[in-house]
Amino acid sequence: MSEDNQKNCGGNSPGEPAATRSNAPMWIIVATLTLLFLGGVYFDRHSGWFNPRVYAPYQSADQLEAYQPKSGAAAAFAKGKGVYESVCGICHGADGLGKPGMAPPLAGSEWVITKGYNRLSHVPLEGLNGAISVEGKDWTMAMAAMGAALPDDDLAAVLTYIRGSWGNKAGEVTGDEIKKIRADLGKNPAPATSDQLKAMPE
Amino acid sequence: MKTGIGVFIAAFAALGASWAGFVLAPALQLGGTKVTTVLNSTDAYPVQRPGEAALGLQVYRANGCAACHTQQVQQDGTSFEVVLTGAGKDPVSVSNLAAGLKLTGLTKEAADAAAKSLADAGGKTETHLSGTGADISRGWGSRHSVAVDFLYDAPVQPGSLRAGPDLTNIGARAADANWQLVHLYAPRAIVKDSTMPSFAYLFEVRPATGSAEALKLPAGFAAPAGSEVVPTPAAKQLAAYLLSLHADAPLYEAPYSQLAKP
Ligand code: HEC
Ligand code: HEC
Repeated sequence: MSEDNQKNCGGNSPGEPAATRSNAPMWIIVATLTLLFLGGVYFDRHSGWFNPRVYAPYQSADQLEAYQPKSGAAAAFAKGKGVYESVCGICHGADGLGKPGMAPPLAGSEWVITKGYNRLSHVPLEGLNGAISVEGKDWTMAMAAMGAALPDDDLAAVLTYIRGSWGNKAGEVTGDEIKKIRADLGKNPAPATSDQLKAMPE
Repeated sequence: MKTGIGVFIAAFAALGASWAGFVLAPALQLGGTKVTTVLNSTDAYPVQRPGEAALGLQVYRANGCAACHTQQVQQDGTSFEVVLTGAGKDPVSVSNLAAGLKLTGLTKEAADAAAKSLADAGGKTETHLSGTGADISRGWGSRHSVAVDFLYDAPVQPGSLRAGPDLTNIGARAADANWQLVHLYAPRAIVKDSTMPSFAYLFEVRPATGSAEALKLPAGFAAPAGSEVVPTPAAKQLAAYLLSLHADAPLYEAPYSQLAKP
């Protein structure tokens, strides 16, 4: 060991290394922080901004929404069931048989299994007032325009559902048609009566 | 020590950052997971495991099954298929058009384009979405596993190593309690070269009583003459748990479409 070294190892010798602030160049700090930030943004972007419903291979909530299987009779039918049970089922019953003193049946109803669905669509869009005969029984009640607030596709799905459930076998209803019928009706139409409905084309 | 405060702050920040990343962020992200509904339906998902199966989870855990088996299906991508469901007024030209188009294995954009060109020609179509990936092609599931699949399990058993197949949907794949019990008692009675250990200690070998519970074992694995192998309550619970493993319902966060039921 050289004498120099020995000196440096000693107590208060001037060569002792001390923990001091070393000056990292500012640009390295800025570059590192920028890279960290960009990396974080990239990570978030590709993991749906930490949205708990977004999993790989989907990268964002919008993409997940766009990829939802929407078309297809089965999907529309299943959706219709959901809407029916939350909007119409309370009165008409989950089994479509209606409830005494609440609402007439939809299962087998001549108002539901019509060839077309123009007449039927007016019921939830306008509401219904006064006497109506359903499957040979007379009802004199009123139904508010329960479908007026539903989006076109949802209403179409509900009508598809009631036309195809509980033994009913009438055809599918499309959102585009509902849109047209709704547009023809204008805002806040008066509730229909059964005579007015009968005068409409099926 | 001059730098003591600095060291303390640095150590605190390092531990705090990992706590935030591993505990706080996941809790904020997934801590609110609650029961949801099956896609396009009002059926609740998931449903609680029946009592025996819930006990079986603890048997599964106690026997270290998760050391060799995962319960998490991975999905790498998506694939679309366009199905012609109605040919409209001009069936010949629509079906000719359909015959000329690629209708399976599509990206979303290609599927939308194909559906649109068929719709423009007057046809009716349905678009189906399915997941793709190694796990899905092995038949382990239809979609990736998501947090809500594990909602009722404590502790969850996602596993991390796959010496054996993924068990996410074993209840659908092998929905027979007797098959499960025989496999647990003697894996090699079912898969000749299985490396799965035998869990014979979950069974009792006793003098034959003609019990209906006695396992029907193939030759070479059968109990000695005059005796029978019956499952203990733990084995029955484990089998019930395995039969309850079925996390494959389409969900909003893991969509896929099943073909329309006729
Ligand atoms: C608040 C209870 C209530 C709700 C909710 C309700 N309805 Fe009605 N609905 C009635 C009543 C009451 C009548 C009979 C009205 C009358 O006597 O004029 C009726 C009649 C009908 C009719 C014609 C008669 C028949 O049975 O075929 C149809 C169709 C119908 N409703 C469809 C629907 C649809 C679709 C929905 C959901 C969007 C719905 N209703 C929601 C109470 C209700
Ligand atoms: C040492 C690793 C190992 C352990 C521990 C283990 N398994 Fe297995 N398991 C395997 C292997 C390998 C296979 C594939 C061969 C076979 O089917 O026997 C398998 C197959 C299975 C299968 C059939 C899967 C299919 O798709 O056919 C089931 C069910 C199963 N194991 C359940 C269990 C249960 C329950 C436990 C805990 C009691 C367990 N395993 C513990 C390795 C293991």
